[in-house]
Amino acid sequence: MIEVKNLTFSYKKGRQALHGLNFTVEDGEIFGFLGPNGSGKSTTQKILTGILKRHGGDASLFGQDISAAHSREFFQKIGVLFEFPYLYANLSAIDNLNYFSSFYPKEQRRDIGELLEMLEFKPDFLKKPVSSYSKGMRQRVSMARALLSNPRLLFLDEPTSGLDPSGAVLFRNIIEQERQKGTTVFLTTHNMMDADLLCDRVAFISDGNIVALDTPRHLKEKNSNRRVIIDYLYQGRREATTIEAPALETGIPFAHDEVISIHSQEPTLEDMFIQYTGRRLT
Amino acid sequence: MKGFYSLLKKDIRLMAAGKFFVMSLIFLILYTLYVNFGYVRFMNMQIYSVYLYDPAGTQKTVSPLIHSVSSRKELDAALLRDTSSVGMDASTGEVKIVLYDATEQTNLHRADYALSLLRSSASRSPEIIGTNTPEQKARKEITCELLFFELTAVGFLGIAAVLFKEKGMGVIRVHAILPVQKKLFLLSKLVVFLLSDLCFAVLLTLLNTGFSDGVVLLPAVLLQTAVLSLIMALAGLLCALLLKGFRQFTLAYLVIAVFAATPVFLSANTPVKFDWINLHPFYHIYMGLKNAYFETTVSPAYYISSACAIALLFFVVQLAFHREMEKEG
Repeated sequence: MIEVKNLTFSYKKGRQALHGLNFTVEDGEIFGFLGPNGSGKSTTQKILTGILKRHGGDASLFGQDISAAHSREFFQKIGVLFEFPYLYANLSAIDNLNYFSSFYPKEQRRDIGELLEMLEFKPDFLKKPVSSYSKGMRQRVSMARALLSNPRLLFLDEPTSGLDPSGAVLFRNIIEQERQKGTTVFLTTHNMMDADLLCDRVAFISDGNIVALDTPRHLKEKNSNRRVIIDYLYQGRREATTIEAPALETGIPFAHDEVISIHSQEPTLEDMFIQYTGRRLT
Repeated sequence: MKGFYSLLKKDIRLMAAGKFFVMSLIFLILYTLYVNFGYVRFMNMQIYSVYLYDPAGTQKTVSPLIHSVSSRKELDAALLRDTSSVGMDASTGEVKIVLYDATEQTNLHRADYALSLLRSSASRSPEIIGTNTPEQKARKEITCELLFFELTAVGFLGIAAVLFKEKGMGVIRVHAILPVQKKLFLLSKLVVFLLSDLCFAVLLTLLNTGFSDGVVLLPAVLLQTAVLSLIMALAGLLCALLLKGFRQFTLAYLVIAVFAATPVFLSANTPVKFDWINLHPFYHIYMGLKNAYFETTVSPAYYISSACAIALLFFVVQLAFHREMEKEG
């Protein structure tokens, strides 16, 4: 679906934003692009969506070089959720979505009412202007805008930003449903939970370089110290002991009366990011 | 085509929400009231009031435009009340001009005018050229000025206000990923403003120059309106794309209004002529509009230059538009 080779980009002020990125995204994959602010995530997404030109290296989408691919047909195949909910504030959710959907062929459009219902949009606000919406509601309308054309490739930039925990769960479910339909998702985020729960593979980007690329599980496993902490009771006292995980194969190798909990010492995706880049994601 | 129609519909809606059409209608009514009930009457008024103190009745030919006074004291009081008026004291048998001091040229003009009113009207009737009556001329002049003002000020500010709104909402960036040609986003705005300006020009011309006169002028006036409307709309779009906020934009506009419009009006409507005014593009545009109202032929070079200016501006606006789409949120 996406193939990027030695992708470079410099802004006019001479600041090089991307230093030769290489990655591929398979059909139907959710690919996470993780990095802190200013690392080159948005620049990469803008190049892939045809907003930024003048890049170096090769990038192809749908098997076509992106320099030539940015035709009407190309834009009909992609859906983009921006980091901020860009909508006409004086128009209602329905009017915004009707307007944006009018640029796509009729047979490609999804039913706006169904989409908003799926996104749990409050029906009372359907005809009220966007200026009266909360951030979460605006994000729902923006997500509906990104999905309304049934895109084959979905670019999502911080999809759960501005949502409450239940909203974030809903969005993750919707993204998962999209994947099941065969949609490829390019997810740009610095939200580790989103990446860990959703992505088939993640790339860590720092200062315009991809420093690691693998499945979240492999990344964590590769760097795991394979230790577990066991909380237990022994002779009326609560104690904790750290042991190597293989030592558990023959049972708990020390005296105890009752095991309270066993915690693996597997690192989180954020720990991995810090380990690879020396930087935090926020 | 469908995408363009959607853009057009959205722009009309934005302009209606911003009360642009209501504002244009209010301006049209105000201009029409001003021309028909103010300006034309004002232009029919005497330039200077002339007072004559002639106790012995020495002056045999006295125009009805002259006000007679009965004493020198009354003459002085009238001149102090209306400092641009002219007094004539004929109490000694010889006419002596009395006036409140102004520039030397103005003093001479006022004195000659007052003295001319003591001669028979036949002796001061000049040969008349041109076909416009003084009222037609006044109506055409003021209609031309008001249309120029409307297009340069109101249209320019209107299109910028619409774009600033969209820029503020960030929706310009969404259009970057829509399956529609990006230049249509700009073209739809130009079409809406052009149509609105053309309608305004038709109504303003017909209501203020009269229907029969106006209909004859319309083709040339509409052509000039289109040229000016497109140039101003593109300039408004460019400023809105390059400047950060509407406040910055209004400041820039004040500078344009003072330094661009003032010399044009002075050169076109008064005897003041600047050596460099031929280098001022707005002077030629204003003269193009004025020539349309007075049915004077405009050089083809003007149209070629205007077309080139519009094409160049559109190209630059497109560059600025792409730059805006690339920006971070």
